[in-house]
Amino acid sequence: MQPAYAGCTFPALHLDLIMLFFRRTLARFFIPLLLIVASMPAHAQDRAAILTEICSGDFAAQQSALGQLASAGVEQGETGASWARTIVDAFEGRNLRCGDGMAVIDGDAGAVMAGTLEPVTNVDSASLDAPSVNLRLRAVAASANAVLRLFTEMEAAERLNAANYIDQRREAATGTNIGAALERETDPDVRAVLITLRASLLMSDDDPTNRIVAIEAIAEDATLRNRTMIAEAIKTETDAAVIASGEAALADIDQTLAIGQVLATLYAGASYASVLFLAALGLAIIFGLMGVINLAQGELIMVGAYAAWFTQEAIRVTVPGLLDYYLIIAIPISFLVAALVGLIMEVLVIRRLYDRPLMTLLATWAISILLINTVRVTIGSQNLEFHQPGYVAGGFPIVGDFIMTSNRLFAIAIAVLAFVAVVVVLRKSLFGMNVRAVTQNRSMAGAVGIDTRRTDMMAFALGSGLAGLAGLALSPLYNVNPGMGTGFIVDSFMVVVLGGVGSLIGAIVAAFGIGQINVIIEPIYGAVAAKVFVLLMVIVFIQWRPEGLFAPKGRR
Amino acid sequence: MKRRSFVKGLITASAGSVIASPWVARKAFAAAHTDTVKLGCLFSSSGTMANLEGRLNFVARMAAEEINAKGGVLGKTVEVITTDPGSDWPLYAQLGRQLIQQEEVAATFGCWTSVSRKSVLPVVEQNDALLYYPLHFEGEENSKNVVYLNSPPSSSVLPAVEYLMSEEGGNAKRFFMVGSDYVWPRTINQQLKGYWAAQGIEPDAWREEYVPVGHSNFQTLINEIREFAAQPGGQPVVILTVVGNSIPDFFREYVNQGVSAFDVPVLGLDALEADFEGLDTTSLVGHLNCWAYLQNAAGPSNQEFLANWASYVEANDIPFSPDVAIDPMVSTYDGVHLWALAAEKAGSFDVPAVRDASAGLTFACPSGYDISMSAENNYVKRGVFIGSLNENKSFDILWQSPDTPEPVPFSPYMNT
Repeated sequence: MQPAYAGCTFPALHLDLIMLFFRRTLARFFIPLLLIVASMPAHAQDRAAILTEICSGDFAAQQSALGQLASAGVEQGETGASWARTIVDAFEGRNLRCGDGMAVIDGDAGAVMAGTLEPVTNVDSASLDAPSVNLRLRAVAASANAVLRLFTEMEAAERLNAANYIDQRREAATGTNIGAALERETDPDVRAVLITLRASLLMSDDDPTNRIVAIEAIAEDATLRNRTMIAEAIKTETDAAVIASGEAALADIDQTLAIGQVLATLYAGASYASVLFLAALGLAIIFGLMGVINLAQGELIMVGAYAAWFTQEAIRVTVPGLLDYYLIIAIPISFLVAALVGLIMEVLVIRRLYDRPLMTLLATWAISILLINTVRVTIGSQNLEFHQPGYVAGGFPIVGDFIMTSNRLFAIAIAVLAFVAVVVVLRKSLFGMNVRAVTQNRSMAGAVGIDTRRTDMMAFALGSGLAGLAGLALSPLYNVNPGMGTGFIVDSFMVVVLGGVGSLIGAIVAAFGIGQINVIIEPIYGAVAAKVFVLLMVIVFIQWRPEGLFAPKGRR
Repeated sequence: MKRRSFVKGLITASAGSVIASPWVARKAFAAAHTDTVKLGCLFSSSGTMANLEGRLNFVARMAAEEINAKGGVLGKTVEVITTDPGSDWPLYAQLGRQLIQQEEVAATFGCWTSVSRKSVLPVVEQNDALLYYPLHFEGEENSKNVVYLNSPPSSSVLPAVEYLMSEEGGNAKRFFMVGSDYVWPRTINQQLKGYWAAQGIEPDAWREEYVPVGHSNFQTLINEIREFAAQPGGQPVVILTVVGNSIPDFFREYVNQGVSAFDVPVLGLDALEADFEGLDTTSLVGHLNCWAYLQNAAGPSNQEFLANWASYVEANDIPFSPDVAIDPMVSTYDGVHLWALAAEKAGSFDVPAVRDASAGLTFACPSGYDISMSAENNYVKRGVFIGSLNENKSFDILWQSPDTPEPVPFSPYMNT
């Protein structure tokens, strides 16, 4: 069964089940209701029947009832649709309660009768049962809700949202109810969406020209799901023209899907590369330029992420209106906090160990454990919850099945910005020149009057600050907890060593290479094998070229 | 010189804290008396499992306090000794041996992952000790020295998958299995494949993928899931057996790529309330899990348990949420009580006597079921819940078993 198009066939599909249901529940619900129904106007009878079905707890009957509710706007217009929407909302929210041959809706202001929406006083709604809502009914209900919004919403923008939603979730959409909505619709944008939508619902129409129109409408959105739908439809198709149009559509979709797949792979590779690069950028300065093996680099990433979280909490308390921009506001804060931690590390510990690399390794490892446990004791070990503003939540469909996820786009943007900023600082500023001079020849740089101690300190702080920035950029992608940094340390050393110690361009190329190779291997041999392959390739490469991809020329 | 010695001091102190942290730590308030009986805990307070296992130490203490308040066991006060194996699997065995041989505990409660249980197993068998294991797991093991407090797949995973395949549960026809690469996911998936084959489902209806433990980049896999879902052949579902922090990472990418529970529901076999602490679950509503206890279980014993936990957390200033209760907490709690009942019945703390007395014991579990120990093995009969994730990071009960199914330690589907 095709979940996406279930709606267009189900009234017929479940007729026998519905009949069965009526027989089964006759004794429980129907007899008392029949007595009431006899004295009601026509649409009230329909309402009572729908409510009986939805209350039955029988899956097929509930599905059929939701289908009828979705079409309530066809004959009864806005009033009918508005009632139906109330029922669907109550059903979804489990506020619809049934029992004793009646249905009521529980609300904050007291219960109302579901059939008439008039208040009830003599019923204890808490004693009645809410009918069960499983996943498939939720899906149908969500779809029905969107169909009904087409009839009840005043704002064109809301109706447009609803129409686009139905495009994704069609369980309750039928040619009839979308057609009725289209007749009422005045807004051109909404009409355009509905016209395509209705056309695509005519796949099982008797008229072959309508079926061709349907195929064309479906093929407009070239996804694998739609491809499957067309392919399944032309399997049973007899009309030659329809088959030809279907096959042409399939060929088109295949082409788009192939492009989408290539783009998706490139994007996945680029986004993984941006993560690797962000994690490695600070290290490229600390290890690459200064030669300090800093095992606490991952914890500086964690410090940056926690700084972003504290910024978010501070904004939530002081200026909640700016909450959506906390990730932008936190950029300097994460950078500075991590830089400060790095500065303290440098002054207290690392500066004393520049000529003893093995001691630095142990000392920074100890610092990393100290930082992890300090955070764990003071803040706790649970994952922190970050508010997800629109620019880091969800994604945009681009071509075919390729969805560009915004949180990864954000990380890529920060990676690019950080790279540009670092290159500018190192190449154009006096401080950058000092750093380069000190790393090339420490004693000569000292002899020409550069304060090498101060330069070391500032360079270490810069490297730490960049790690903090990475923490901020990665917070929408990863779990933020005290141990988050340990996962990055191996990857960042790998990138820096592969790229060539001391080369920023090398780090970028290495990150891209590792990222891209990873995502190319992963679909073929699995994620475990991808990791093994990449490590093996790095080992072989380092054997062949120990200085890495881009070795700085000159003596070190 | 002074500075250097300060640095040295700092280094030794930090290094020392690493080495010292896993050592057996005795709880200060329960000073050793001759009229006490000791229970040992093997749950990590540091490392990747800290956030989950850490709670269990406190629950074991809470259960012991309840027992002590009623006069203890055989006239003795129960003292709980906790350790920190630091999520380091071999360390569980080492600390387990220390608890049994040096502290002479009457029983141990511990382990979360199957790999840690497998590492403790030879220790408890050599010393003929008792390990109460609180997690649902892959089965295929039946040691007389382990009390399996939670369910093997036959009475947890299979009922949940059967539900998904029923008309009511969504008529699942095709299955995408994603797991962390170790013994639990691989064994579970092996059994599921055997089960589906026995149901006459063709092998092209499922796919199996593994990621390294701790994997976080799920982009490619979720692309593949979307592709799998779009193919014909019926309703797809994902059977998720990744563990630890991979669970939130998986769901975050799932939402961002726009896959909804309506289209492809995920049955997260290790997914707990605690895994969703950092996520906004409004767009994750409808995903499923299955356990022998859910926080929303009806009944007075659950209300009592939740109230006790909340007040225990408040009173002792415990660094975990007072209003989150997860299945392994309840299983550990049940375990301590089952041990106390068995010791009372046996009239002794000797392991063989306690083991013999365990047969047929029943206990009113907070889940609302009367759980019982079967006579022929060390498994506990538990009820089954299927939960559906809601907006408040907890699980609504979608389905629960009418009774407590018989646990089957060795799955008939393993080698088909």
